[in-house]
Amino acid sequence: MNGRYLVNKLARAFLTIVAIMLLNFLLFRAMPGSSVRLTHSPYQTQEQIDQQAHKLGLDQPLLPDQLVTYIRQTLSGELGDSFKFKGQPVTQVIGDRLGPTLLLIGLGEVIAIVLGLALGAYSGWRRGSAVDRIGGGIGLILYSMPYFVIGMPLIVIFAAALGWFPTSGMLTAGVVYDSWTDQLFDFLRHLVLPLATVSLGLIGGYSILMRAAIAETRAEDYVTTARAKGLTDGRILRTHAFPNAMLPMVTIIAINLGYVVGGAITAEIVFNWPGIGTLTVDALSARDYPVLQGIFLMLAVAVVLANLVADLVYGLLDPRVRS
Amino acid sequence: MSALTAAVRRPSRTRGFREFLGRFGGRSDGIVGVAILAVFAILALAPALFVGPLENAVTASGSPLDPPSAAHLLGTDELGRDLLNMTVHGARISMTIGLLATLITVVVGVGIGIMSGFLGGRWDAFLMWLTDVFLVLPNLVLAIALAPILLSLVGDEAEIFGIKAKLIVIVIVIGLTSWATTARIIRSQVLSLKERAFVDRARVIGTGSGRIMRRHILPNIINLIVAQAVLTFAYAVFTETSLSFIGLGDPFSPSWGQILNAAQEAGAPGLLAWWYIAPPAVCVVLVVVAFTLVGNALDDVLNPKSGARR
Repeated sequence: MNGRYLVNKLARAFLTIVAIMLLNFLLFRAMPGSSVRLTHSPYQTQEQIDQQAHKLGLDQPLLPDQLVTYIRQTLSGELGDSFKFKGQPVTQVIGDRLGPTLLLIGLGEVIAIVLGLALGAYSGWRRGSAVDRIGGGIGLILYSMPYFVIGMPLIVIFAAALGWFPTSGMLTAGVVYDSWTDQLFDFLRHLVLPLATVSLGLIGGYSILMRAAIAETRAEDYVTTARAKGLTDGRILRTHAFPNAMLPMVTIIAINLGYVVGGAITAEIVFNWPGIGTLTVDALSARDYPVLQGIFLMLAVAVVLANLVADLVYGLLDPRVRS
Repeated sequence: MSALTAAVRRPSRTRGFREFLGRFGGRSDGIVGVAILAVFAILALAPALFVGPLENAVTASGSPLDPPSAAHLLGTDELGRDLLNMTVHGARISMTIGLLATLITVVVGVGIGIMSGFLGGRWDAFLMWLTDVFLVLPNLVLAIALAPILLSLVGDEAEIFGIKAKLIVIVIVIGLTSWATTARIIRSQVLSLKERAFVDRARVIGTGSGRIMRRHILPNIINLIVAQAVLTFAYAVFTETSLSFIGLGDPFSPSWGQILNAAQEAGAPGLLAWWYIAPPAVCVVLVVVAFTLVGNALDDVLNPKSGARR
């Protein structure tokens, strides 16, 4: 990976984060009923209102004073206090919900990538085969389903009708476990349906993209060469077509991350999974703007960083960029 | 002279259109998509013709959560409203929001794409940076943050052309958060168009940038825009459903997402009330699949070269 590529990508990620912070700053100031306006009551004297505004720094000019303060606070991890959970800092409210979401989305992504890429690669290699036709149809339908449209029928069938899995939550409420294995088992039972929902929701998109990427490699000269050398079909797919098709997929998976994270919100709501998604919707209905802003900032920065990592991995993998 | 060119041009256009119909007609996936969309378009145009006026809590015709029966083919919701009635009316609301959001997305995306590609230099760098930012941002989360702000700007009770403020906000939010892909695709096409001889010729005779973009570039990317708009429509319906499901919709104008939101709130999945979930869910999936099929078929037929992209 050459220096210029690295600097270029780093600068890009930095500029994007700057844009996100600016956007977050402006959004927060524009929020209806934020800060002073929200705590404002008709019984306050003008003096009290001014005092409050001074305490929050809102009597300072918007630019540059307020912006500078905002950036300094954000960089030091100071995101303000939640309106709803009185007195709790936003970072703590969000931190408490991070684990379940990371687990759900992380596992869901891994399963979807493995299955989606395998299905897509096979379909793209054997275009027009039974697997391609049926898999392509199912892939397109799954791709067209929002997570909750996948999750709700799963609950109806596997939780309500068959009773195999619980309908919601992460652990059974009010249960005292005999051992940690019991707790783990209970957790896993709760995890199955949400995880299936997230994975199914992602498989469609990945298989469609991978199918196209593999189909494109079929026409490449190195595949013809490999065939001329007498390599078996499966070997060409595994050692020549697949690695090359994976290159664009690295970028696509990273760009999709923002979409995945957003979509997971709806999956969490369906199963009442105690993660960032349910927190977002609770904050929305309670007009808890500091928490909303914090979530937005965290997710946006996380996605930018993931994209940066993908770009760097791409740089390491692709010899054309590496040299 | 203009009459002459018109006379020369006209037959070639009709022939072009016939040729297009012939090629599109050969795509069975595109035809299936068009057929599905035609059905939903008819339902959306005159829902009251098929199922009567939209039922509300007062005019509800059944008892709460009845499974499908002869009187209520798709059962009823927790207020006793007929689900067939709501789902058909939902077609109108979901499709209208989808259409308006698509218009905004395409106008913004095409505008930024053309300017970025044609003007180049600093403009291109700035606009593409903006596009990258919007491409990366988690759309749904941005939409959730934007919606309350827009709602306070528009006012809760406001109506524009008889459409409620909350729905207008959804339209704007979808438009603002989803133009980036279109801008990228349009820009790359404009970059190659701009090098063509007819653009140079226009420039040599002193045509201004604005006029070149409108009169010379735009007509040449119409095909791309049409295909892109159809695909955007699928995305818009998908996103509207998600936003309404999260609770940003208007309970008095039940789109499909709004019905699913009500089903979730009423605990329909746990109560085994599958008939509450299935109709709106099937409609959403059918419409999104249909738009995707038509969009892909159009893209292949209208822009043969871009077939490699997929």
